[in-house]
Amino acid sequence: MDITLDHIMPVPLASIEHDSDSIWGNRVTLNSGKHILLNASSGKGKTTFLTTVYGLRNDYKGEIRYGEEDIQNFNPDDWTNLRMNTISAVFQDLQLFANLTVGENLLLKNRLTDTYSEYELKSFLEELEIDHKWHQKCGLLSMGQQQRVAIVRALAQPFKWLIMDEPFSHLDIENAKRCMKLIHKRSEEQKAGFVLTTLGDSHGYNYDQELKL
Amino acid sequence: MLNKLLFKNQDKKQLVVAMIGAFLGIAFLIISIHYLIKVNQFGEGSEILGPNTVIVQKKVSNSNTLGLARTDFSKSEIEKIKAKPFIDDVKPVISNNFNVSFETADPVVPRFRSDVFIQTVDPEFLDVKIPSWEWKEGDEFVPLIMPRDFVVMLNTFMSANDIKQISDDVVMSIKCKFTLSNEDDKEWVDCRIVGFTNEVSAMLVPESFMDYGNKKYSDGSDQKITQIMIQGKEGKFGEVEQLLNNRGLESKNAQVVVGRLKSIVGTLVFIVLCISIIAVFVSGLVLIQFMQLLMTRNAIEVRTLMRIGYHPNKIIRKFFIYFIKVFGVVAIMGTIAFFITKYFLDDTFISGGIYIDTDLSLWSFMALLIAYVIFSLASYFSAKKGIFNEY
Repeated sequence: MDITLDHIMPVPLASIEHDSDSIWGNRVTLNSGKHILLNASSGKGKTTFLTTVYGLRNDYKGEIRYGEEDIQNFNPDDWTNLRMNTISAVFQDLQLFANLTVGENLLLKNRLTDTYSEYELKSFLEELEIDHKWHQKCGLLSMGQQQRVAIVRALAQPFKWLIMDEPFSHLDIENAKRCMKLIHKRSEEQKAGFVLTTLGDSHGYNYDQELKL
Repeated sequence: MLNKLLFKNQDKKQLVVAMIGAFLGIAFLIISIHYLIKVNQFGEGSEILGPNTVIVQKKVSNSNTLGLARTDFSKSEIEKIKAKPFIDDVKPVISNNFNVSFETADPVVPRFRSDVFIQTVDPEFLDVKIPSWEWKEGDEFVPLIMPRDFVVMLNTFMSANDIKQISDDVVMSIKCKFTLSNEDDKEWVDCRIVGFTNEVSAMLVPESFMDYGNKKYSDGSDQKITQIMIQGKEGKFGEVEQLLNNRGLESKNAQVVVGRLKSIVGTLVFIVLCISIIAVFVSGLVLIQFMQLLMTRNAIEVRTLMRIGYHPNKIIRKFFIYFIKVFGVVAIMGTIAFFITKYFLDDTFISGGIYIDTDLSLWSFMALLIAYVIFSLASYFSAKKGIFNEY
């Protein structure tokens, strides 16, 4: 499923002057299965990109299409189905449930589609070296640990697209690499694409496409 | 896990206060509806006239004796009384306009004969339906409702003659007859006692028999209506009694006492019912407000759940089910409180001489069901609104 941004201009960014190669105001297609880096400095609209494409806001001009369908036409049933099976996200503010444990946060997501067993989820955490945090409340984890939990949660579903908003901002190079490896593996398994927004660091990964804001 | 996320970190105090309020409201609602129904039923079926019906006549004063005032009712007087908003119906009591005597005609009892007066009441006013209380020419006997005082008098007569006294059942089996007559003609008609009354002083016969006698043996004089039956509306006995006083009417004391008692108790229970309805309404609002507060406190959790793929309807269902369970607990507690209260209140009423029916009343549980349905609907729509606000 390709995602097309057809002359999108979010209302809060309309007053800012954008470069000619910015995705804002141009026609851009995110081709199915591609690994895309979205590189931009602060205030250019990285979070706006995620929330707009993910259907959390509609204060924009232009048209976003999943395949041929304008996302403005989707109803709650459609969005629930898409967010369960087609598109997943890592939010910049992570949006974990602070009062639930790491395990509960992951199982709460995983039980929607029953994608993995508890053992598999733990093995993902092990790859990111936080499997010992399974019973710890998320509110008590460091930001770096929380980022890793949020990444595993986003992976705990079938998806065609994974959109990540600065997912490694609190991680060191080694941990970022581990996360990237896991994301790559899961995306390849599902033949899915992903978009990773960053402040400039490519995290040592070779992307198929780089977009600018 | 969803329950833990959405409901674990709530302030229980507010929920408990709301539940106590709802519990009291529900308990009083069931209790008051139950006793309102039972008090209204009180007295029904125990006498031939309903507890809201009185037979009245004008008080006899010196003016009546001197012929300066009338003791009979005109048609316009009856219509005026009937027009009052607290009156259901008014009908004249028809008396005999011919000579009639009553005598026993059975070897079981000694011969007893007396001139009597007979009356008939509109069958619509009878609270106890006696299937055999009908008569047509050619029937074997005239069914007759006898003043209980007559049985007492008959037994006194038997005792004085050194004869064994007789029970109600025996009285109802003895053969009797009426003698109807005028100056030119005379007729004997067999009759049999089919019931007793404390409310009417005359022997009561079917309307058709009275018509027959009045047509065939009337002395030709105009029929005067000296008694009327007044049927008041439920719980309006105070106004009926005031009307009787204002118009100088009187009735048998027992009838007034029952009506007054019912009216007082019914009014008190009705006030409790009104307070209960308000209490249920207010406590329901508090519970709904608590739900809204809970959703506001969990706004981030609700929003995040929808962002990670939970359907809004699933979250609505969680809140809805949680609160109908809360109200279910309240309803069960209220029902238990009702049964405990009923156990003691029934005894209290009986000790106080109010022999109300102790069976359960369907309507009190229907009221509970209606309150539950209304609360469930309010919960559902409130949850739906709250969740979609976060969508």
